[in-house]
Amino acid sequence: MELTDYTVDELICTCIAHQVADGDLVAQGLATPLVLAGYMLAKRTHAPGLFFASAVGNTVCDGWSPLSLTTMEAFWLGRAVRFLTFTEIICELLPIGQPKEFFRPAQVDAYGHTNNVVFGDYRRPRLRLPGAGGIPDVTTYSPRVYLYVPRHGRATFVPKLDFRSGVGVIADETERRKLGVTSPGPRYLVSDLGTFDFAGSGGRMRLLTYHRDVTIEHIQARTGFPLAIAPDVHETSPPTAEEVRLLREEIDPLGIRQLETLGGMARWQKLQEIINQEIRNQ
Amino acid sequence: MPAAAALVRPGDTLALGGMTLYRRPMAFVRELLRQGTGDLTLLAMTAGLEGDLLVGAGRVRRLRTCYFGLEVFGLAPMFTQLASQGQIEIIEETEASLAWGLRAALAGLGFLPGPGWLGTDLPAVRPDVKLVQDPYSGQRYMAYPALRPDVAVIHVPVADRQGNAALIGNLGIDREIALLAGRTIVTAERLVDSPADFGYQADIGYMSVSAVVEAPGGAAPTSCYPYYPLDAAAIMEYVQACQRGEFQQYLEEVVKRQTSSVKRQVSNVKRGT
Repeated sequence: MELTDYTVDELICTCIAHQVADGDLVAQGLATPLVLAGYMLAKRTHAPGLFFASAVGNTVCDGWSPLSLTTMEAFWLGRAVRFLTFTEIICELLPIGQPKEFFRPAQVDAYGHTNNVVFGDYRRPRLRLPGAGGIPDVTTYSPRVYLYVPRHGRATFVPKLDFRSGVGVIADETERRKLGVTSPGPRYLVSDLGTFDFAGSGGRMRLLTYHRDVTIEHIQARTGFPLAIAPDVHETSPPTAEEVRLLREEIDPLGIRQLETLGGMARWQKLQEIINQEIRNQ
Repeated sequence: MPAAAALVRPGDTLALGGMTLYRRPMAFVRELLRQGTGDLTLLAMTAGLEGDLLVGAGRVRRLRTCYFGLEVFGLAPMFTQLASQGQIEIIEETEASLAWGLRAALAGLGFLPGPGWLGTDLPAVRPDVKLVQDPYSGQRYMAYPALRPDVAVIHVPVADRQGNAALIGNLGIDREIALLAGRTIVTAERLVDSPADFGYQADIGYMSVSAVVEAPGGAAPTSCYPYYPLDAAAIMEYVQACQRGEFQQYLEEVVKRQTSSVKRQVSNVKRGT
């Protein structure tokens, strides 16, 4: 088999796409282009019957579009099969439709509990974060919670959260019932180093696959708690040539997905470049 | 616009329509900044540029939102700075507490039970939100308290002079806050004889609207579908000004401006048959 040239953002998109099945309803939140590119890839390959519930535009939509910083809203509204109010999305579509959704935690612990509210002490934070949106709600009841971390490191994979704004796996059935939590916890996590589930002992995070050129030791060293390892742990399947082509040429030619994998100045420069390109395209 | 902005009083809970960087009442916010109205409680499902200007200018004492940021353009700089320094009171909210709180108020109830929060640290930082037990199944729920804004401000593409206003999608929580607020102000890209002439139905009815203001370009640099998309370059200019520590200069400049220039139309609003 011919080896395909691909980048880690393309691999993450492909892993996300492979978690989506034809006919699914998928939701995406704000500023999650890796997830959006992954969903679009699924739509263009094995899941043509995918429906999108979008926080931008507040619609359910059945089409696909190349990613854009400025015109996605017009796409979601122009191709909407349903307009919803945000209260309808929250009180009806999410609890009853139970879409699949990928959340990006600022911190995640060994059991998939997450934090998107503060770094540091809640009353005297080191950094206030944008907020948890609907994560504190959906993670209590949804059977279809997925996580992704574009830059795997000890700042994100922590032994103890600074604040718990998302529920992970509570393996003890009595404890879970006592709390009133009905969600089984997150099903899956993909990072730029590997893929994981929560089937370790007591619901611990478990390494399923490591990405190309990444060792298990490296992943463990970048994780702030001991990982369980799946017995059949192996290298993550690479994207196909067609998946890479779709991402690069049709779904995200501007490389908006990279705004999640890049950091610091590189991210800033990429953002400027994308904006300039979108202005030229207008 | 000045008369409409004067309907906002110090101490009010102010709900701003639109979502994040979409259809935000920017022209109204600039007028409010000119008038200097402060001590506000800002209520939004998601807050973005409009909120960051008000927060940075020191006009917001208290915040109720579940997301405050500029999406891929980054953190909302002034919110992040002032909230991290503890200079702003945050009433921790999530999608559920805001949505069920609005629905409770619409139903004329003091609260509604809803899913969420259980097993998280939210109840610990919101001791005012109580737990209730379903008398039938025994299941526990949060009892989200009713939310009633004093003033709602909603920028819309099309409205008539009585205040019947069409949102043309991106509904957010605009219908709810328009119904619930004691005073509702609509600013519109276009004032028309009737939205029906344009093939649209009103999402907001005249009986809940206190003032209507024509404000072409009134959402820029956020978007106003179908008239114009968000102006990414202008949002970057704001982020960069804040990075240089020049929020005050930016604020002074922006407050002077009557309306933002609108760079491009997505499409024209079509006249119905």
